[in-house]
Amino acid sequence: MKLWIRRNLFRTWWDGVLTLAFGALAVWVLWTLVEFIFITGRWEIIEVNLKLLLVGQFPAESLWMVQGSLVAITFWLAAALGGKPRAPEDQVAWPRRIWDVIQRFGLIIGLGVLLVVLAGPTESAPLALAVVGAVAVGRVLNTTRHRVSWLARIPAIIWHLVLLIAPIALISLTLMQSELSLWGGFLINFYMAIIAIVLCFPLGVLLALGRKSTLPIVRLISTTYIELIGGAPLFVLLLLAGVALEFFIPSEVAPGSVFRAVTVFTLFTAAYLAEIVRGGLQSIPQGQLEAGKALGLSTVKITFLITLPQALRNVIPAQIGQFISLFKDTTLAGAALSIVELLKVSEAITKQDDFLGQGYIYEALAFVSLLFWVGSYVMSRESQRLEKRLGVGQR
Amino acid sequence: MNKKVFTDATQMSGNRGDADAIVVMSGVYKRFKDFEALKDINFQVGKQEVVVVIGPSGSGKSTLIRCINRLEEHDAGRITVDGTELTMDIRNIQEIRKETGMVFQNFNLFPHLTVLTNVAMGPRQVRNMPKAQAEELALELLTRVKIPEQADKFPSQLSGGQQQRVAIARALAMKPKVMLFDEPTSALDPEMINEVLDAIKQLASEGMTMVVVTHEMGFAREVADRVVFMADGEIVEVGTPTELFDQPQEERTKKFLSQIL
Repeated sequence: MKLWIRRNLFRTWWDGVLTLAFGALAVWVLWTLVEFIFITGRWEIIEVNLKLLLVGQFPAESLWMVQGSLVAITFWLAAALGGKPRAPEDQVAWPRRIWDVIQRFGLIIGLGVLLVVLAGPTESAPLALAVVGAVAVGRVLNTTRHRVSWLARIPAIIWHLVLLIAPIALISLTLMQSELSLWGGFLINFYMAIIAIVLCFPLGVLLALGRKSTLPIVRLISTTYIELIGGAPLFVLLLLAGVALEFFIPSEVAPGSVFRAVTVFTLFTAAYLAEIVRGGLQSIPQGQLEAGKALGLSTVKITFLITLPQALRNVIPAQIGQFISLFKDTTLAGAALSIVELLKVSEAITKQDDFLGQGYIYEALAFVSLLFWVGSYVMSRESQRLEKRLGVGQR
Repeated sequence: MNKKVFTDATQMSGNRGDADAIVVMSGVYKRFKDFEALKDINFQVGKQEVVVVIGPSGSGKSTLIRCINRLEEHDAGRITVDGTELTMDIRNIQEIRKETGMVFQNFNLFPHLTVLTNVAMGPRQVRNMPKAQAEELALELLTRVKIPEQADKFPSQLSGGQQQRVAIARALAMKPKVMLFDEPTSALDPEMINEVLDAIKQLASEGMTMVVVTHEMGFAREVADRVVFMADGEIVEVGTPTELFDQPQEERTKKFLSQIL
C-alpha cells in the first residue's frame, strides 16, 4: 500500500505537487456537490413539479399509458437484449453477478429510486414494482426460451418480432390516446430522440452507401445532402423548420412542431451518421471486397454481408456518440420551436409564484442535467459492452 | 505425379487445342496509367493441368491471374474461362467468378464471420444452397484441409497457415473449374508454409486445374505440369519444370534463376 502510494502518487516531487493539487481540486468539487445536493439544494421545486418535468401536461387519466409503455420497454429490453444464458464454465457466483448488474444498471436503478422518492412512494410504488416485475419476467422468459427445447426451436427472429410488438403496441396506444400538444417534459425529449435515432440510422447508412456509389447522380445527391445539412448549425435548421415552413404552408395544414423537430433531428443526424459510416466503410481493406467478388457475390451482397457489417461494427463508438449528442440536442427544440420539453419546463417552473425570483433555476437545471447525464452515460457504457460482445479489435 | 499429360514440347508456345482448355488468354494487354503490366499474353490452361507462374516482383504474375476472374480488367485481347468470354457484361463476369476459386496472399477471410460461415458463404449466397447443406459441405471441406475442429472459431483466432487453408476451403466450396492461387504462402511464417503447400499438392493430385503464382521453386518443380516464367509483363518462357529449371533457354530466365537458386 505504502509502496503503491509512492509509486503512483509521489514518484517525483513534481508528481507529488500534481497529486496534491488535483487531489485538492477533487475534494473541493466533491464537497461543493455534496453540499449542494444535501444541504443548500432546495429540491421541493422538483418534488412539486415532478410530473410536469417528466411528462408535461399529459392528462393524468391517461398517464397509465405512458407507464405501460415504460413497463413494456423495460420488459422488451430485458427479454431481447438480455443475451443467452451463460455456458456452465462461464457461470459466476451470485455476489459477482449482483455486482455486475449494479455496475451496468446502478445509475438507472439509482435514478429510479430517486424518482420514486420524489414522487412519493405510495403513488409511484405500483409503477416501480411493475417495472421491476417486467425486467424479471423478461429475463425469465429469455432464459427459458433458450433452455426449453420446443421453445428454442422457434427461430430467434420470430421471438424478436413478438417481443417487439408488445412495446410498439403500447407506445402507439400512448401516441393515439393523447394530444401531442399536451405532451411535455422529459417524455418528449425521450421520444424525439428515440424516433430520430431509429429513423436516422437507415437513412445515414443509405447516404453513406450513396456517397460511395458508382452512379454519379446518386453520388452527387448524397454528397450534396451530407455537405448541405451537415454544414448547417442544428439550431438554425430547427428555427428554419419553425419559421420558414410557415412561409410556404398555411399553418392549419403544416405539421406540428414536434413532428418538425423530429424531422430535423433525423435529417441532421443522418448526415453526420453517413460520414461516420463512410469512414467505417473506408476502413475495410480492399481485399475483403476482392474476396467477395472472387466468390461470385453480387455487389449488393458484398455490401450487406461483408463490408457494411464490418464497417458498422468498427464505428460503434462514433455512432453511439452521435446518438448521445442527438439525445442531448433535443433540448434545443424548446428554444427553437417552443416545444415544452424538459429544459423549457424547467425554466417555466422557476417562474411559478412559489418559486419566482429565488434562484431556483440551479436546482431545476441540476435535475435536467442529471436526467440527461444518466441517459448518456448508460448509452455510452452499453456501447462499450456491445463492442466487446462483437469482438471489435479482436477479430 | 501420375498425370503429366500436357508436358510435351508443343506446349512451349501455349497454343494447344481449345477443346479441353479451361482458361484461354490471347493477346491480352493491361496497363496501369503509364505502366504496362501485361504485354501480349497468350496463355492456356488445360483441364486438370497445374500451371505455376514464376518471375521477379512487378513482372505481372499477379495481374495475369487477377485478370482471369476480372479483379483487374484487361485492356485488349480475349480471355475465356470454360468457354465463356470475359466481357463487360456483369452476368458473364459473375458466371466466370462462380467457376474460378481464388486464394489470396493475405487470406482475406471475412473476420466478422466464423470459419464455417466463411466457407459456407459462397454456396449459400451464390449457389442458393440451403443453410444446413452448405454447412455440411463446408465442414466436409474443412476436414479435407484438416481443420474441421476450428469450424466455430473466428479467423483471427487461427494461425496464418490455418487461415490460408480455410481460404482454400472457401474457394473450393464453390466447386470451381479452376483454382487461382496468388502467392498463397508469401504472407506466412516459414514453419506454416508447408501445411499450405501440402493442401495445394493434395488438390493437384486430386486433379484440380490450377494456376499458382509462387516463389516456392521446390513446390513448382514438384507439382507443376508447366512452369511459366514472366518478366516485365511478358511471358518469357514456358516449359516443364525440368526444361525450365534445368535448361532455361532465355537470358532473363537464366538470370532470374541464378538470383534465386
